[in-house]
Amino acid sequence: MAFISSGYNPDKPMEDRITDIGPKKFDQFYPPVIAKNKGKWLYHEILEPGVLVHVAEGGDEVYTVRCGGARLMSTGLIREICEIADKHCEGHVRFTTRNNIEFMVDDKSKLDPLKKDLEGRKFAGGSFKFPVGGTGAGITNIVHTQGWIHCHTPATDASGTVKATMDEVFGDFQNMRLPAPLRISMACCLNMCGAVHCSDIAILGYHRKPPMLDHEYLDKLCEIPLAIAACPTGAIKPSKVEVNGEQMKSVAVNNDRCMFCGNCYTMCPSLPLADKEGDGIVLMAGGKVSNRISMPKFSKVVVAFLPNETPRWPTMTDTIKKMIEAYSSDANKYERLGEWAERIGWERFFEKCELPFTHHLIDDFRDPAYYTWRQSTQFKF
Amino acid sequence: MAQVDFQGKTFDVDEDGFILDYNQFCEEWIQYVKEQEGIDELTDEHKLVVKVLQEYYEKNGIAPMVRVLSKLTKFKLKHIYELFPSGPGKGACKMAGLPKPTGCV
Repeated sequence: MAFISSGYNPDKPMEDRITDIGPKKFDQFYPPVIAKNKGKWLYHEILEPGVLVHVAEGGDEVYTVRCGGARLMSTGLIREICEIADKHCEGHVRFTTRNNIEFMVDDKSKLDPLKKDLEGRKFAGGSFKFPVGGTGAGITNIVHTQGWIHCHTPATDASGTVKATMDEVFGDFQNMRLPAPLRISMACCLNMCGAVHCSDIAILGYHRKPPMLDHEYLDKLCEIPLAIAACPTGAIKPSKVEVNGEQMKSVAVNNDRCMFCGNCYTMCPSLPLADKEGDGIVLMAGGKVSNRISMPKFSKVVVAFLPNETPRWPTMTDTIKKMIEAYSSDANKYERLGEWAERIGWERFFEKCELPFTHHLIDDFRDPAYYTWRQSTQFKF
Repeated sequence: MAQVDFQGKTFDVDEDGFILDYNQFCEEWIQYVKEQEGIDELTDEHKLVVKVLQEYYEKNGIAPMVRVLSKLTKFKLKHIYELFPSGPGKGACKMAGLPKPTGCV
């Protein structure tokens, strides 16, 4: 398309430049019933999976319908969300912290038409555009990252793994049969953008090969000291190499010390390490962020490696399914996955989930690793 | 890899307009970046920032942290932005011929 100016003048970039105005204030977008009753809510109920009602002191009610979103959306889909909001909610809509979409109405009679409308909308391929659910003790949306769509350091894909997993656990999105909410998160490398380190079940992209060294360009493209300092295990040291008869500054990687985190590639474009067969997925389990009953927990590695099986990742979804089934049939009410695993003992967790325990799962990173070993005779056979 | 011809010199640049080889840096490169970055007039203060960046890079192999740059040039960050509207990384480091900043930027 031919260039169409917005009015910006590239010859005078600082002229009429507006900066530091921040985001729009949230209360500009409140539905009237929310604005009126802000800070005066008495109680709420989950009427059914995906539908909540909040009741205010004066008796006002607001009904919320939560539906799943793919997070990665076209403007076409956003427009459709707006159209629904215009039709049922006077143009108001919100997104949750797990990227679900919430439509709010102020009267019970408006609830059913809204739900029917949402449930009737499907993509040409057959998947629901706006599946209602995600409340209570079920499985809500998966917090995830960029993957092969946009990032340059991923070891797996985000949107693909998430779609495969949500398809597998879709029943639990529209249901509240679990002992407690189960949060699944996904990050495509161990930068862990998002919530994988604190989720009940976490999907994490993982490399298994050390970086390749592009000696010819390394000194030109990289600040070598940064690449050295990026390594958590001290595997990288500066070195001089000869390329095409020319002395060049570069780095050397001690492959025995490298654990394939990819931090050096983040800092230095000449150290790529993505690999089709080497890369795959690590599963973690047992994290949470709430303070409810027990303190927040980190998730722990429970499956050291699963291959990237595009486009549906069957081994990964099967393993996740196994964990969810073992948890839902064995845990007590209100017990999060991590609390359950700690109560029955991790050796029982592996037994019940039928997961193999390998040496990869034993912490060996610096002094704190010691505290993860068992200094006790308390264990079950 | 793209090549830029400017005032009789040729530079290898990446897609963000950073020079690919610090050794290709010369006075013409400063003029080229000045146009690219929308800087009206090249002052001694611009040249001081470029000089400090280059001396630091040659000595240490990295670009200085923003606070170090501020301290060495005695310019506040606000003033560095006034000199280089794109900021110390995208503006000043590019003009000085330093490698492109990396990490989660």
